[in-house]
Amino acid sequence: MWDVGCVIAIVAFFVVAIAYIAGCDRLAGKDIRQ
Amino acid sequence: MSANGWFQIFLFFLLVLACAKPLGVYMARVFERERTFADPVFRPLERLIYRLTGVDEAHEMRWTEYGIAMLVFSMVTVVATYAIERLQQVLPLNPQHLGAVAPDLALNTAASFATNTNWQAYVPETTMSYLTQMLTLAYHNFFSAAVGIALAIAFIRGIARRESKTLGNFWVDTTRASLWVLLPLCFVYALLLVSQGVVQNFRPYDQATLVQPQTVTTTGADGKTTSQTITTQTIAQGPVASQEAIKMLGTNGGGFFNANSAHPFENPTPLSDFLQIFSIFLIPGALTATLGKMTRAPAHGWAVFAAMSVLFFAGVSVAYWAEAQPNPLLHGVDQRASQSQAGGNMEGKEVRFGIADSALFATVTTDASCGAVNGMHDSFMPLGGLVPLVNIMLGEVIFGGVGAGLYGMLIFVVKAVFIAGLMVGRTPEYLGKKIEAFDVKMAMLYVLIFPLIVLGFSAIALMMPNLGLSSLANAGPHGLSEILYAYTSATGNNGSAFAGLNANTHWYNLSLASAMLVGRFLMIVPMLALAGNLGKKKLIPPSPGTFPVHTPLFTVLLVSVVLIVGALTFFPALSLGPILEHLLLHAGKTF
Repeated sequence: MWDVGCVIAIVAFFVVAIAYIAGCDRLAGKDIRQ
Repeated sequence: MSANGWFQIFLFFLLVLACAKPLGVYMARVFERERTFADPVFRPLERLIYRLTGVDEAHEMRWTEYGIAMLVFSMVTVVATYAIERLQQVLPLNPQHLGAVAPDLALNTAASFATNTNWQAYVPETTMSYLTQMLTLAYHNFFSAAVGIALAIAFIRGIARRESKTLGNFWVDTTRASLWVLLPLCFVYALLLVSQGVVQNFRPYDQATLVQPQTVTTTGADGKTTSQTITTQTIAQGPVASQEAIKMLGTNGGGFFNANSAHPFENPTPLSDFLQIFSIFLIPGALTATLGKMTRAPAHGWAVFAAMSVLFFAGVSVAYWAEAQPNPLLHGVDQRASQSQAGGNMEGKEVRFGIADSALFATVTTDASCGAVNGMHDSFMPLGGLVPLVNIMLGEVIFGGVGAGLYGMLIFVVKAVFIAGLMVGRTPEYLGKKIEAFDVKMAMLYVLIFPLIVLGFSAIALMMPNLGLSSLANAGPHGLSEILYAYTSATGNNGSAFAGLNANTHWYNLSLASAMLVGRFLMIVPMLALAGNLGKKKLIPPSPGTFPVHTPLFTVLLVSVVLIVGALTFFPALSLGPILEHLLLHAGKTF
């Protein structure tokens, strides 16, 4: 159970980090348009 | 303090200075794919690696693709490390038949080594098999350092390139950092360490019969006292030298043994100690010259080197002075330096290294994100212990971790030129690039994540007696310093520890793993976004109003920005920890 939880936690963190990249990229696009 | 001690500190610095340009220029040539003396050996190997892995060397990546490649690579290696730790009991190279690592500890260790932190909440020689040490931990020592160098190079390209959407290729940069820089340096360095007596073997641990048996008396939880006579000692060993080399050169810091660089098999002689301290700053110092070469502004590279040097000397002076002072609570004890003793506070220090080398090691290992130790920071005098803590809190930008130190300092450079622009009412420029709203937002995001995690987790740990305080050995301001140090070290990806805190609990393993992952990867993202945005900009020719970034004035401004941001963020916490402990120590109280 712990093993499944730990692997899910690791993958979830990196998915959030990739989403964070997408967010920063959108912010960059918005700032340049303004 | 002694003349001998200062001589060693200046010799160390001069050696770092002397190596900065040749190694820095070599790295610039490697990453710009110019010809070097090592081409006949490494170029065919590099081509072979690309052929085997299907990497297109000519493919250039936007910052988003660069970042995603880095994250996916790191995620796979974290999961693989976790799996190997959990399965080590059924895998080869485990002569001591060590069992599986506990899941929370395995997660903490996987996060720790993948983030270049090397925080160790375990005793390596009784927890990790040789296979785990070599296949996962030593592997991460190489690749977490290589990723750091690659990211710094990507940031430099962002500054150097004009109207370019790309920052290079993550796979190519990481391969070059490992193959052309880290591997050859480690090969030579490991042999030097072996010549000093650092062990390198695959033997099972030896059992030695004690010349004088020892009787140990312990009191159990039920209050009963038991005595046991110890007649044998287990001598742990293994492939230490190879791991030691990358541990120091890659500013990783995770020891093969629990005592780290205080262990005689990891760091046997004063010369091996000197080499270890030097190797921490070797690559970070040289990367400032790489910055100068790749941006065609060598004077700017030296100005950044100068700012780092000023902060280094400030830290080592305070640490050396504080540790050379006698402990005021030891009344009637001769604590003066003489031919028979080092003098000052020798608690937690190795006699063969003494005060100066211990203070220098502690300063350098926390200036950089190394975290190796040759003495116990917890036993330093309060102001001596304050220095390592402050060094990490400043963002480990004083030479810093390989790559991470440079890009961290360049974020401060962006802020320094922004502040200079505000002062004179002009749009700030950095090496011909306008610094605009998005750039400042990303720089601030990078800076704010660090204190948010450090202070947030420390506050939660301090408020939760069953979680944060239950495994704390010291009370009062010293206990606060221990918790604060743990989260600062983890978030800063340093990995050194104030002992006195048992961090191998569910709470600390999971919260520190989170701090390490956030402190590494969520700070890299805004840094890459800033680099990507800088790379796209046009070059503006310098005008009389341009703030020059190669002058002593710039160096002073940069040092001031680093100190002011660090002081404003962490001074309240520091005043309740080591500063209060220093005042109470002189009032006769200890914790």
